Amino acid sequence: MVISLKDSLKLIGVSVVCVCAVFVCTFMLSFYIDILPLEDTITDEYTRVLYDAQKATAQVCAVITGGVLGIIAVVMLIFYIKLYIDSHAKQLGIIKATGYSNIRIAAKFWVFGLSVFIGCALGFIGGYASTPIIYEGLRIEGISEIAVHFHVELLFGLVFAPAVIFSCIACGYAYFALRCPVMQLMRGKTAKIKDKPQKTGKDKSFLKEMCLKTIFSKKSIVFFVAFACFCFGSMMQMGLSMENLTSATMGYMILIIGVVLAVVTMFMAVTTLINSNFKNISIMKACGYSLKDCALAVLGGYVPFALLGFGLGTAYQFGLLQIMINIVFADVGEVPEYTFNVPVFFLTLGIFIVCYAVVMAYYTLRINRISVKEVMLEN
Amino acid sequence: MLKAENVTKSYNGAEVLKSVSLEVKDGEFVVILGASGSGKSTLLSVLSGLEHADSGNVEYNGENLTHMNDKQLTDFRKREVGFIFQQYYLLSHMSVENNVKMCADLVKNKDFKKIISAVGLEDKLKSKPSQLSGGEQQRVCIARALAKNPNILFLDEPTGALDEKTGREVLDYIVRLHKTQGFTMIMVTHNANIADMAQTVIKMNSGVITETHSNSSQKTAYEIGW
Repeated sequence: MVISLKDSLKLIGVSVVCVCAVFVCTFMLSFYIDILPLEDTITDEYTRVLYDAQKATAQVCAVITGGVLGIIAVVMLIFYIKLYIDSHAKQLGIIKATGYSNIRIAAKFWVFGLSVFIGCALGFIGGYASTPIIYEGLRIEGISEIAVHFHVELLFGLVFAPAVIFSCIACGYAYFALRCPVMQLMRGKTAKIKDKPQKTGKDKSFLKEMCLKTIFSKKSIVFFVAFACFCFGSMMQMGLSMENLTSATMGYMILIIGVVLAVVTMFMAVTTLINSNFKNISIMKACGYSLKDCALAVLGGYVPFALLGFGLGTAYQFGLLQIMINIVFADVGEVPEYTFNVPVFFLTLGIFIVCYAVVMAYYTLRINRISVKEVMLEN
Repeated sequence: MLKAENVTKSYNGAEVLKSVSLEVKDGEFVVILGASGSGKSTLLSVLSGLEHADSGNVEYNGENLTHMNDKQLTDFRKREVGFIFQQYYLLSHMSVENNVKMCADLVKNKDFKKIISAVGLEDKLKSKPSQLSGGEQQRVCIARALAKNPNILFLDEPTGALDEKTGREVLDYIVRLHKTQGFTMIMVTHNANIADMAQTVIKMNSGVITETHSNSSQKTAYEIGW
């Protein structure tokens, strides 16, 4: 069979998202479970308000982080499986032609759940190891020290259950993706070509047309580029703005998770973009297009989406912190006033522009290394 | 004139071209004939500026390609060269029109649609390559190469993926264009029959030129064997 364990290990993006999601969920849910028995020890009203606010924070953080990153991990997994099926269509077609059913082939896709298992396991270990530090940061005055306990139900819910669910999603998606004629797969095509009527508009130059077609032929890459910039913009600003609202450790943790997520997602998206345009770039270069033209045609169109992602991330972090302060901590006195942090915004924007330019420069160098000879040797 | 002198090229320690020398006059139709692995496609890559030779010189009208950097080679290909490949290498997500426009835009050729009509694809302007037959895809490739009015056309097994009937049609069309437009044409093939259509035939084996001869009369695509 064409699917091996090695293929699962290539889903590093999914693993990293799972590490981040499970890492946060592990310490937040552990904290939530461990402070529940302490409720009866609270004697004064002020401590109860603080206790309720911390409980709500743990719930909100776990649900938002787990939910959002869980959805992202599912989208990434499906994206990877689609790429895998597209690039292995001929082999899969041959397997189907020899008599294997769609279900039998799709069942082999369970191995993609392994990347989720690895990510979740690492996230759980990291999260559990960090609980003493986190508990110290979230400690409530007036409540005795919160003891760290190991919760087997979290191990099951955050490691084994996601691995099984993601394996099922992988098999299910593969089953639907493989439901196309054998000959179509053997010709290397997985989707029917839609014969859409061509819009008659103003004639665009080839480079503009190439730029637009590159974007619209792989819309998932637009999503991942925007998501990477969203993570960078939101979590870096949130991490740097939270100094007065929570412990510095918590702020740095959010910042690191945001940067890791952004970097991994961006590299995954742009690597896929370059790989899927490998032949197009080489033929453009053979015809005489300069490196700058090739880079602009393939990479240039994503700048507006990157800025949009950054903008949405900025609005999201501001909105989320406002909600936390005005709703979750509404009854708690002495909570510092939170306003939009303009210096942090400009600092993050500056770092974002530099990082984006560095990533694009790196991929422009990769484009420079592509030669038409390599493509000719491939065939 | 395109001139190669003592050109060598190696891949992973294996010498693919061994001191190859040749001359191609302006407007000449040359076929480089050889079996698989003889080095003919590598020679085409070096002559067309797709890659550098390890040693020796390649000159085109006094310009030495060997000493050009990547930017200069790109500019050389933009100004002078057209390619037709066996595997077409069309942009799969773009229409026939945009595939041809790719080369037309490089030289600001606004009349590229005439070339698409000339190859008989005026009714397929908005079709994607996957919606075309092999012969039609090769005709798009021809239109794309000609859209930038090249001075030299390099063809790498242009009929290798086509059936006999379509192959003859494509060859006939290319040769007619060569006669009317007068560009230099260098074709690489393993099909010895196609050599009968060329003015000059260069035979290669194991990275060396074993024979060069001129045809006193050229056959048409419908006269050669297949």
